[in-house]
Amino acid sequence: MLELYHSEPNTFFLKPLIALHEKGVSFQSRWIDTDKLEQFSLGFSGDVEAHLHLEREGPLLLHDGTMISSSFFMLEYIAESFPGTPLLPETAYDLYLAHASGQFLGANLGSLVPILGCVKYQLPRLKAMDQSALEAKLASVAPQERRTGWQALLDGTYTDQILVTARERLKFPVSRVEAQLANSPWLAGPRYSIADIDAYSMLRVIPDLAPEVLNESATPRTWDYLQRIGQRPAVKAALALSRSGKPEQHFVPGVEPSRWG
Amino acid sequence: MTVHLYHWEPNANSGKPMLALAEKGVKFESHYIDLLKFDQHQPEYLKINPDGTIPTMVHGDRVFTESTPMMEYVDDAFDGPALKLKDPKERWRMRWWMRFFDAYFGPSLSMIGWSVFVGPAVRQRPKEELEAAIARIPLESRRIAWRKAMFNQFSEAELTESRRRVQYCTGVLEDHLARNEWIAGKTFSLGDVNGFNLGYALPLSQPDNCNDARTPHIMEWLRRIYERPATRQIWALGRTAMAQRVKFLERTAHA
Repeated sequence: MLELYHSEPNTFFLKPLIALHEKGVSFQSRWIDTDKLEQFSLGFSGDVEAHLHLEREGPLLLHDGTMISSSFFMLEYIAESFPGTPLLPETAYDLYLAHASGQFLGANLGSLVPILGCVKYQLPRLKAMDQSALEAKLASVAPQERRTGWQALLDGTYTDQILVTARERLKFPVSRVEAQLANSPWLAGPRYSIADIDAYSMLRVIPDLAPEVLNESATPRTWDYLQRIGQRPAVKAALALSRSGKPEQHFVPGVEPSRWG
Repeated sequence: MTVHLYHWEPNANSGKPMLALAEKGVKFESHYIDLLKFDQHQPEYLKINPDGTIPTMVHGDRVFTESTPMMEYVDDAFDGPALKLKDPKERWRMRWWMRFFDAYFGPSLSMIGWSVFVGPAVRQRPKEELEAAIARIPLESRRIAWRKAMFNQFSEAELTESRRRVQYCTGVLEDHLARNEWIAGKTFSLGDVNGFNLGYALPLSQPDNCNDARTPHIMEWLRRIYERPATRQIWALGRTAMAQRVKFLERTAHA
């Protein structure tokens, strides 16, 4: 039995949806409406890995009684567990490139992109909610870092200056992607892999959130890369699961930014 | 093809590939990079790793700079005992816990370590020398970390939060090891190599949180890893009192 708990096909939630479609694996979709904050009521808090994973509210994959969390490792789990289109790089070195990409982009894009997306799209929806009901809902959220992620949106923590810095910091991971694509057609060598599904799911919203960072003239290879991946049937099928028709306008706060500053 | 490993003390990130190579039985040429002398920001080292981070592994013409993915490569590319499990669920669990160590437990522990050890170890040097050292650091995130350590810019609030997280994570790890013999389940894996590098000195640095009475499963797990020949071999490469802390895990030390 394979069940995927997910929301709109964007960022963290998009990754396993693409991988499962690439593999042609059938699964039971368990929809979480993040606009109604349903992710706080899933009731998996007794499972340490589901409770403490660092994306806080990314997808959860329940496979024969084991709850798989953390979206990059979920991609690798899907790649290792199911037959069908190979999604792992072929050589040990290319596999290293995939792991290193997942780790680096997970930390960098995984914290910056959700902040920009939440401020632009999620915050207006939060403000339109009944504020006392919202506060009551957030008060019980655990672990506390997860509550802080939402609270920071409402508290006005993300000032214009912080958002300018966040967009500026996006240039570093995007420049690494652009450089890697000069070496090979895909991020981890000659074969499309989990590294590309991982990167695409975060990169595809940057032209909207920070157009100066990722565009056809500033980052031509990354631009072309996004077009290539966007044309894949599995990617189209994953995005077509959207209920709103605008999956790129739905975000959750994601990975905590580095506490070192 | 010789493996070259550029590393500091067997501790945290440097210790991960060192111990993984030793467990795998892979001989490597050791290049000691003195973190406290900023060897990692010198031009010779930046030719090998332009990011100026430690460790770096070189195998043939391939260069590896991320320590946890580096360990997976060591297991994938060389013969020797498997350090990853066959079952995808156990492999996933191993990776989940390595990320938990690397991105949550580790940064809080290292913030404390940098405030009490790394900072004071370099702080007495002239301010101009420290500023020049910071100016040579390639990555913005590392410049921020070094500036905080050199000029003791850690706020009490962030240190308090780091201490809270370390205490919390120690409890989470104890619960996990009470249910599992090793990090990924029934077999020793890279998850244990990673966790040992993070946690071997916890009983000394966090004596109130990590001890035989409060965290018996962590203590037993650390001692079992300490007793492995590879661990002995690698910690003997340490040059400072930092690596010596591992001896606290001798069973006879407190009998």
